[in-house]
Amino acid sequence: MAGAAPKILWADDVDEDELPQPKGEDYIDENGIRTIVEYTVNDDGKKVKVTKKIKRTLQKAVVNHTVAERQTWAKFGQEKGNKPGPDRATTTVGENVSLKLSAGNKSSEPDASAEQTVKSNLVKAGAGKVVCRLCKGDHFTAKCPYKDTLTGLDGAETPPLGGEETGAPAEPAAGAPAPSIGGKYVPPSMRGVRGPGESMSRPGGSRDDLPTLRVTNISEDTQENDLRDLFSTFGRVARVYVGRDRETGAGKGFAFVSFESKGDAQRAMEKLHGRGYDNLILNVQWSQPREQR
Amino acid sequence: MRPILLQGHERSLTQIKFNAEGDLLFSASKDSVINVWYTHNGERLGTYEDHNGAVWTIDVDSQSRFLVSGSADNTMRLWSVQTGKCLYSWEFPTAVKRVAFSDDDEQVVCITEQRMGHQGAIRVFKINREGDESEEPISFFNPIGSKAVVCAFSYVPNLIITGHESGKVALFDYKTGEEVLNNERAHMDVVTDLQLSPDRTYFITSSKDKTARIHDTRTLMVIKTFSTETPLNSAALAIGKPYVLLGGGQDAMSVTTTSLRQGKFETRFWHKIFEEEVGRVKGHFGPVNTIAVSPKGDCYASGGEDGFVRVHHFDESYFRAKPYGDIEVEQ
Repeated sequence: MAGAAPKILWADDVDEDELPQPKGEDYIDENGIRTIVEYTVNDDGKKVKVTKKIKRTLQKAVVNHTVAERQTWAKFGQEKGNKPGPDRATTTVGENVSLKLSAGNKSSEPDASAEQTVKSNLVKAGAGKVVCRLCKGDHFTAKCPYKDTLTGLDGAETPPLGGEETGAPAEPAAGAPAPSIGGKYVPPSMRGVRGPGESMSRPGGSRDDLPTLRVTNISEDTQENDLRDLFSTFGRVARVYVGRDRETGAGKGFAFVSFESKGDAQRAMEKLHGRGYDNLILNVQWSQPREQR
Repeated sequence: MRPILLQGHERSLTQIKFNAEGDLLFSASKDSVINVWYTHNGERLGTYEDHNGAVWTIDVDSQSRFLVSGSADNTMRLWSVQTGKCLYSWEFPTAVKRVAFSDDDEQVVCITEQRMGHQGAIRVFKINREGDESEEPISFFNPIGSKAVVCAFSYVPNLIITGHESGKVALFDYKTGEEVLNNERAHMDVVTDLQLSPDRTYFITSSKDKTARIHDTRTLMVIKTFSTETPLNSAALAIGKPYVLLGGGQDAMSVTTTSLRQGKFETRFWHKIFEEEVGRVKGHFGPVNTIAVSPKGDCYASGGEDGFVRVHHFDESYFRAKPYGDIEVEQ
């Protein structure tokens, strides 16, 4: 085989360096965008195609003559001798803020989301839905929009009751008697079974058992004794509490009156609701959390 | 929109003002320094640094030649806007709480505090634009009753509109020093700011009683009321759009529940005609003390207790927004 033409291996035949490079381009299309295409070899020895698109726009703004003049003023005071252009020490660009304009927009989303996350965390923790004590809406009592007003004179509007949690990250809804076997341990005080041996209470019922009326729109100087006298015509009054300002001791305009019997409380409510007392019209209703069950 | 943060003050802002073309923003602060900034990019042009006490108030004339400022060092100073030089200084027995130029730039009114036996006083000075200022005011009177806190010139010659500590809004004739008209019950608590409309026929006041009100200049009748849940420090009228901007503290309920990551103090936008809130812009780390809207209506700035001035250039959505439908309000 000597003398035969040397075999050319196809693999060696193609010499990459000798392939003609595709030509770079530089053109401007109809939008005025200039496109530059280049082919180079990058650091890894690989061939790369680099495309640059450049658009140049000239903005013309008509400004007041005096405004334009002011742009050329020399800097003075603490800025004396500084270069033109904003100084990073004094001027920075802040984070994007959005201004969403809409009719009657009370609060922007980030506010709601802070509250929403707290609420959703509670729900996830199994604490039940958030219910406001005053109006049963799904917000915390402290955030109730109606916190200054009564919740309806006869308590008739009862939005759907969720779980009875009112915003304190309270115990999970294991107040129901007999949690399932193997469920979480519930201490006796929270079991909700109030048999005679299970809880220590005063004879005649503990505070929570008494039928209690919430009396609002009472005057500042109405005292416990006044209310006791007023309500005693309907039955024995077990307890009177007048809400007071912590510092001044003045009445806050509301009180809780607990009777020994529910019938007495019912009659008292019917007779006294809407009645005048010390120049104010009383509101009498069942006091909220218990009676609404 | 991306606000531009201007950090030229070490203490809280007391007042900010745009010049008549809206390309310069002046800011006064309790750190006794007045800064001037270019509005379009937030670049600081210079500082005016001769006061020895908190600068409570500033005003600039319509040609942006002179700046007048009132300070807790008991002086009112006249400055050249371009060079930063103090041209003249008036001394008083007490601190100067408010200064304002008249619309023809001929006069300046200033309010001095009531302190230590000196009654609160209002003085009007004639400004000699050649530079040789007169020491004596052309008018000096002490309003009786509650002391005046804010003031401005009315479009009627000789009349000054004043806001008082008791919430009263009044019109005084400075030639006679007499109260021509008043509205005792304009506000329930001290009036914190007073800003005029471009033609001065109505003005907006903000008050610590948590409301802002628009009044007619001629009759002092209350035209609109905006009730919020927080005491307000400042109120401004938007130009070209029917909005008002209110700024103040934070309502007590949200103080402990808001995080300090991002400034939570807001400037509130209310619809001027419908008296309803339409939007809020957060960002300040302290109560908003002062708000100003550029006379071109394309941007606004707010100065806070935190020492920052935030300049916001409105974006397209602000100009296109029609929160109440297609009602065109003649401006």
